[in-house]
Order: sequence, then C-alpha cells, then structure tokens
Amino acid sequence: MRFLQGYEIDFLEFVNHERAKLALMLNLIEPKCGGVLLIGPKGTGKSTLLKAFKSIVQTFQIPFIELPLNATEEAILGGIDIEKSVKDGERIFQRGIISKANKGFLVIEDINLFPIELLSLVFEAQGKSEIVIEREGFTFRELSSFQILATMNPEEGELSSHFLDRFGLCVVMNTIDDKDHRERIIKLSIQRSLSLKDKNELIEKIRNLMKIVNHVKVSDHIKEYITQEILKERVSGHRADIFLYYASIAYAAYLEEEIVTEKHVKEMIPFVIYHRKKQTLMERKEEDKRFETENKENDYENSGDQQKPERKKENSSSQIFESETNNNDFQHIPSSEREEIFPIGNIFPIKRLIFRRDRIKRKKTGNRSKTKTSGRGGRYIRSILRENPDIALDATLRAAAPFQNIRGRKDKIIILDEDLRYKEKERKMSHIVIFVVDGSGSMGVQKRMVTVKGAIMSLLMDCYQKRDKVAMIVFRKDRAETVLPVTSSVELAKYRLKEIPTGGKTPLSAGLLAAYNLIRRWRLKEPSSRFLLFILTDGKANVSISGKPIFEELQMISNTLRELAFTDIVVIDTEKKTNIIKMDLALRLANLLNSDYVLMDELRTESLTKLVNSYRSFQLI
Amino acid sequence: MIFPFTAIVNQEEMKLALILNVIDPSIGGVLIMGEKGTAKSTTVRALADLLPEMESVNCRFNCAPEGPFCSDCLEKIQKDEKLDIINKKMRVVELPLGVTEDRVVGSLDIEQAIKKGEKRFFPGILAEANRNFLYVDEVNLLEDHIVDLLLDSAAMGTNVVEREGVSFIHPARFILVGTMNPEEGELRPQLLDRFGLCVEVYSIRDKSLRVEILRRKAEYDGDPKNFIEKWLPEQKQLAQKIMKAKETLNKIEIDNDILSKIVDITAGFNLDGHRADIVLLKASRANAAFNERQRITTEDIRKVAPFCLRHRLKRLPFEDISQESERLNEILARI
Repeated sequence: MRFLQGYEIDFLEFVNHERAKLALMLNLIEPKCGGVLLIGPKGTGKSTLLKAFKSIVQTFQIPFIELPLNATEEAILGGIDIEKSVKDGERIFQRGIISKANKGFLVIEDINLFPIELLSLVFEAQGKSEIVIEREGFTFRELSSFQILATMNPEEGELSSHFLDRFGLCVVMNTIDDKDHRERIIKLSIQRSLSLKDKNELIEKIRNLMKIVNHVKVSDHIKEYITQEILKERVSGHRADIFLYYASIAYAAYLEEEIVTEKHVKEMIPFVIYHRKKQTLMERKEEDKRFETENKENDYENSGDQQKPERKKENSSSQIFESETNNNDFQHIPSSEREEIFPIGNIFPIKRLIFRRDRIKRKKTGNRSKTKTSGRGGRYIRSILRENPDIALDATLRAAAPFQNIRGRKDKIIILDEDLRYKEKERKMSHIVIFVVDGSGSMGVQKRMVTVKGAIMSLLMDCYQKRDKVAMIVFRKDRAETVLPVTSSVELAKYRLKEIPTGGKTPLSAGLLAAYNLIRRWRLKEPSSRFLLFILTDGKANVSISGKPIFEELQMISNTLRELAFTDIVVIDTEKKTNIIKMDLALRLANLLNSDYVLMDELRTESLTKLVNSYRSFQLI
Repeated sequence: MIFPFTAIVNQEEMKLALILNVIDPSIGGVLIMGEKGTAKSTTVRALADLLPEMESVNCRFNCAPEGPFCSDCLEKIQKDEKLDIINKKMRVVELPLGVTEDRVVGSLDIEQAIKKGEKRFFPGILAEANRNFLYVDEVNLLEDHIVDLLLDSAAMGTNVVEREGVSFIHPARFILVGTMNPEEGELRPQLLDRFGLCVEVYSIRDKSLRVEILRRKAEYDGDPKNFIEKWLPEQKQLAQKIMKAKETLNKIEIDNDILSKIVDITAGFNLDGHRADIVLLKASRANAAFNERQRITTEDIRKVAPFCLRHRLKRLPFEDISQESERLNEILARI
C-alpha cells in the first residue's frame, strides 16, 4: 500500500502494533539498531504507521526518503546528466535518492517486489556507508549512511535471506481481530483525534531519550549474555549479536534506564532473530546437519528419517514464507504407505531446448536466450536515433562533427538535439526453470524415482550452463510443497533434490496450482521474466484439492496455466512404457496444457544425434 | 575510517590468504566464500591499511619502472624522455556491482572531447587496479559481460581498448579478491580458476570469541578514532612483518625435495593444467617468508595446500568434494 495522501494520523494514537511502534522508536533513538522490516498481509497498517512515524521523524530534521518502486539505478545512486553535460560542456551531477537519505531513513515499501539488482545497489551503499558511482567515464563518491525501513507482504513474494540479514529489527504485523480494537481504529479514522499537545510531549520525550541513550552502560556480563542467547538461535553470521546489542541499549534508554539488563536483551531477541531464522524446512535441516557435523556427531544417513515427525510440526507453526498451497492446519494422515528417499540416478547430456527471441526489453541477464535490455547495464551493441536515457557519445560526436564549421564553432563543440544518438544494449537473459515433481507412490515403483532424479539432475546441469534460475515444487500425499524457492544456486537445488521423498497419493492439480502461484508472484517482482515449466509425472492424478472431479479440476487449472504469457511448459512423462501396461495419462495432461511432451527416456541427446556435438559429455558424479 | 585488520577476531585463514597475496602478488588473488555476516568485506577493506608502498612510474596506470608500460609511457620512452619514478602505496580498488563496461576498461574522455574536441583516453577501473588489489564484493552476482572483461585482461595482463575512436593499451595486472555467498549462486568455472587461493569462512560458534567481536565492534562504533589509535602498534608490526617477508621472498631456497612433495600432492588429484603446482609453490614460499624462514618446510605446504587446492578439486558444478578433501588431508599428513 502506498502512502495515503494528505492524511495524517498520530503515531501515539496508532492502535495496536505496539511492537512495530517500539521498533521504529528504538531506531529513532539509536540509529545503530539497523533499520526495521515490517512484515504483514495487506491492510495491516504498515504504510499508515510509517506515515505517522514520518511526521515525527521530520520534526527532528531527519531525512525520511521514500524509494519508489519504479526507481531506476540512476535515480537511486545519482549520476551524470549526460544530455545536459554534452550540451553545456560541463559535468552536471544529479543527486540520487539514497544520497538524500543520508543520516536518516530510506523507506522501501514492498521491498520484496524490487528487482534484486537494485536492492543490491542500495545495500552495497549502506554496507560501505558510501555511494560510489562508476559509469560513463566518471567516478563519483559520496558518504552516506542511512537506515532502511521496509515493508513486505510475504504473500507477494520472498526476500532473499541475504537481504533479510541486513535488517536490524523485524516485526510481524497481523490483522487485528479484536472487535474493540477494530472499532477504535474506525473511530480514529473518522475523528483523526490529533492533539498537538500530545505530539509535542512525545517529541520532547524522544529528545530526552536521545540524550539518555548515550549514557547507557553495558556490562561484560550482558555482552556475554547476548552472544550466548544468539548462539542458541543458530543463525548464521554475526550481525544478530551486534544488532541485539544496540537494540538492547536503545530499549534500556526507551525505558529511561541507564544500565542494560538481561530483561532488556530478552525482550529484544524476537525482534532481532525472527527474520534470521532459516526459512524453509530444508534449510533448517541442512543447518542442523552442519551443526551436527561440527559437533562431531555426524550421523548423516539417519537424520533424514528421524526428522520426519518434526516436519509436520514445523509446518504448522507460523511460517510466513510458505507457499499458499501449504495448508497450515494440515492434519496427520495415518499413512501406512511406504515412504522412501531415492538416490539420484544417472546423469546424461540433455537435448537442446531453444526459445524464440522476442522484442520485449528486459532487465534480466542469463544465457539461454538474448534479449534487448532497458537497464543501464548490458553490452552496447549499436547506436540508434530513438530516444532513451543512454546517450551514445561516440555516435553523437560523429554526427555533430561535419557541421562544426557551419555552426561557427569557436572552442567547445556545438551539439544540437538532432545530433543525439542513443545506445542500444543487449544482454543474455535467464529463464526461471520450475521443476514440478511428482513424488507420489507410483513413482517409487521399480525405483522409477531414481531415473527421474537423474533426469532432473541432468536438466539442472543444463540450467547451470545456461545460468537459469531454478525452483522446485514437489507434490505428494495431499499437497504441493515449494521445496526450493527461486534461486540461482543450482548447488542448493541438488541438495533439495536429493532429499525429495517418494510415497503417497498424487495431487497433480495441487502441483500445477503451486507452479501457477509461484509464477504469478514472481511476475509481480520481475514482470519481464520468462518461465520454463518442467512437469515430471506419470499423470496418474488421484487427489482433488477442491473436491471437484479430478479431471475437471485438472482441466480448469490447465486452462489457467495455459493463459500465462511467456511461459513454456514441457510435460516429461515418467511412466515406464512397456507393451503390456501403458496408460499415457501424462500425454493427456500435455494435451490439456497444450504443451510440449517428452518421454523421460527420450531426453537424452544420444537419441537426437544431430544435436549432440555442441555439448560436452558429463561423467557420473 | 576503516576497522583495523588486526582487530578482526579469528578468521585466520582469510587473513593469512590475503597477507600471502601482499607478500607475493603473483599468487593470483583470493576467493573468499562464506555465509552472510562473517566479516568478509570488512576484512578485505581493512587490508588497505597494511599495504606497502611500491615504486611506480608517475603515470595514470601505475606502470612498473621496469615495464610493461602503458601507451603514454611508451610514447615518452620513444621520445627519449625520462620517466618520473615515485613511491605509491598499494591500494584496494573496488569494482561495484552496477558498473558499466566503459567504466571497467576506460573510455573516451567526455570532458576533453567536448571542451577541446580532443580524443583522449579516460582510464577505467582496470587502470586503477594495475599492480593493486581489485576487490569484487559478491563476485558471483557480477554480470557476465563484465566477468568476460576481467577474464580477458587477467589472462593477457594488459587492457587493450579499441572503442569510440580511441585506441589505447596499458598493463592491467591486478590481484583479484572476490567474496561470495555460495547460497546466492555459483561462480563461473573460468573465473573460479583465476583465483590463486580460496578460503571458506564460517560464523564463529565459540562464545568467548563472539563476545570479543561484539566488544570490539561496540568500542569501534563508540569512538573509531581512539580505537584505531589503540590498534596502531599491532597494525605497524604486521605491516613491517609483511614488508620484511616481501624483501626476503626471493632469497628463499627451493630445494628439489620440496618441489617433488608439491608435485606429489597435485598429481594425486588429476588436476587440469599446472596452475595448482605453481600457486602451491608460491604460496608455500610466501608463508615461509612470512614466518621468517630461509627455506620452505613441509609445515608451509600443509598450511597453504587447502587454500590452493580447495576450489580446483571440483571440476563439475555438482561434485561432492568431501572425499577429495579427506584424501587431501591424508596426503598432507603423509608428506
């Protein structure tokens, strides 16, 4: 939600969300707290709260700058206004958004919708407390330290743990269900009971707290206590210790106490820890495993089975990053079905899958197909007349050169509008490859899953070479799980693949729906990305998620998937074809989806001898 | 203001790998792999303070007095002009993620072109990085076409610019230092191979060390000037130790026994090319010099072998190298 225009609400009167308000206050008192991330579904007042906070911050003459979703790299960092520079013959520098936020707050609403490249730039500048611009033959440096206040609605997409770690504090804002509270909110929005006296009092109080915070003492014992508590939480890195340290100081000051106690630290732990916890079950398992290895209790083989009972428990705990299809109050199905984890089978070179080049400009990089780019990066391929922000200086000068005498040049070169030439750039673009894997019991028959995993591994290898991003969805029993959110780490994908269990029924439509949701959410973040969907199944769907007949449900979901633009679908039939048993249900799915259809055993290059030569052959792992 | 290198708690492998590169720049850089928040960037930036001075031509490209030279210096030499030699401090030059191609290799000097109508070369980051450290944070997120440029000039040792009507050539020999979090994506094998050494960093799980990190960080934040001053003696001592090691480096004896031990190690792993042998020898030698020894010992080899070989053991992106690592340990214990 964007800031409400011309509407002011008092920070003090803002109902509930005491924790969010506290986190913001602490950051105002002690800027070393490291910023705040507000997580919550839409309509929980994240933006309104920030708006209320803004009016307080501004009374202290502290910058409070918003980063708009459509900001360009240039707008964020600042840069040279080339067009003006060329015409006037001197460097004209434009300050960027983050340079304006110096010594204040940078507000990023819906941070999870921002392109990763842009966020990298922002966090890079924050990490160094310096803005460095290297482009177009100029270097520019400017000191800038700022804190980031961000909001995100997890339903709309994830934020990489790398970025999450940069935030000092994090607060989850939930919808208020309490009836009284709701009434108060409504009343407030009508009355707008903004009493100036109260606000002044608050500001006076903050001013006082800002003084107190400098005198707060932290004993060695408390420092030890901080690290000990963080160690218990098993988060990676050391940022948590440092942010907890400053948050505790700020909290003590907030309570107008001059000595930090264990109580202060304890209260602050959830703020600092929440977003640093391992997000998916697999990640936590890996972390646990590493922890075990470190403690020399390496018992890798058993860990997979032993932790299975935990899986359900953890799923039902309030996990915010789960896909929508994951039912939170999922109940134990007393299942006597055998569950197995199969190893990865043989790996082979994959036959070539090519996509048509289109004319849409994108900001992505990668290797599968080339695309025109609209960002500032990319290879400069030629100059064109059509206007865009990137001036091709060489071509412009060349165009102006013949007319210099006529135009009466004395010292500096005379450039007119008609001389301006622009750069056209090209980048290779990456695809997001989503594997939708059938993990049902039928895949375990005759160890079919071993071959399937081998095929996926082979496809992953192909993705690695082409620098695609990958994601993985597994459907089995009664639901689909996104075991691997979109990542460019193919290595991680391999670990997840290894651990996919087999057994249970086949909720094929749940798998397709999960894929659809993933694509839809990713589109919000990066509207121009292309998707490649590999559905590996024998097509023997036998669980319906909506209660409708299975085939009807499949048909509906297939129609929705088919409508998605820039999404290629390949159904890989995993059924073992023999003369006696051959159901070809996956073929029927391919028809529903109007997609490509390949038999798993035909994925190999050997069967397509013409295309082999361009690929190295891979050894077994 | 930079957090002092010597005040960084633990992370000895990372620190040693960087120091070895200062002692012998031809080792070829370090790749630092590790999870978020483990002081990767802080350590690399802190290195700048310890870097020694070097003799250099007073030109825009820090040409070495004995060459190779840039186009400017070559022109002077042709005209029989004397080259101005000065002392410059080595630097850590950063390559930001959003960098454009022209900023990396250099480009036409816009101001000169506009004001005087003169075609002049404006040096890029590769020029600055010549004989210096070139630091790329999150190197695995760098765009492909920028990686290509780095690979090109790393292989040639020169940067050849033929664009926008300017042609220019200058030496570009840099010590490449990259940090990456493997969870964020892989590094291209060609680039991986360019790094002489590779170290892995982990979060420290020892409580007392963690407390020390917190204590120092809080002290630094509270009064950076005072903190830096407090660590000055340690910084000076380490800088001197590095300087001394640099001077003695070439006097270190390499006996045949050591050479055969090195070859024994690398031969056990079926590695492509000879880069591993050379790096292992150089790093062992630098480690010997750092420890004020006159000859390379088996201890030196044991110490640096994991840095030199770690990233070369894995030839395929998905290979599990735990077995290989174990074998390396076995071999190292044997020699």
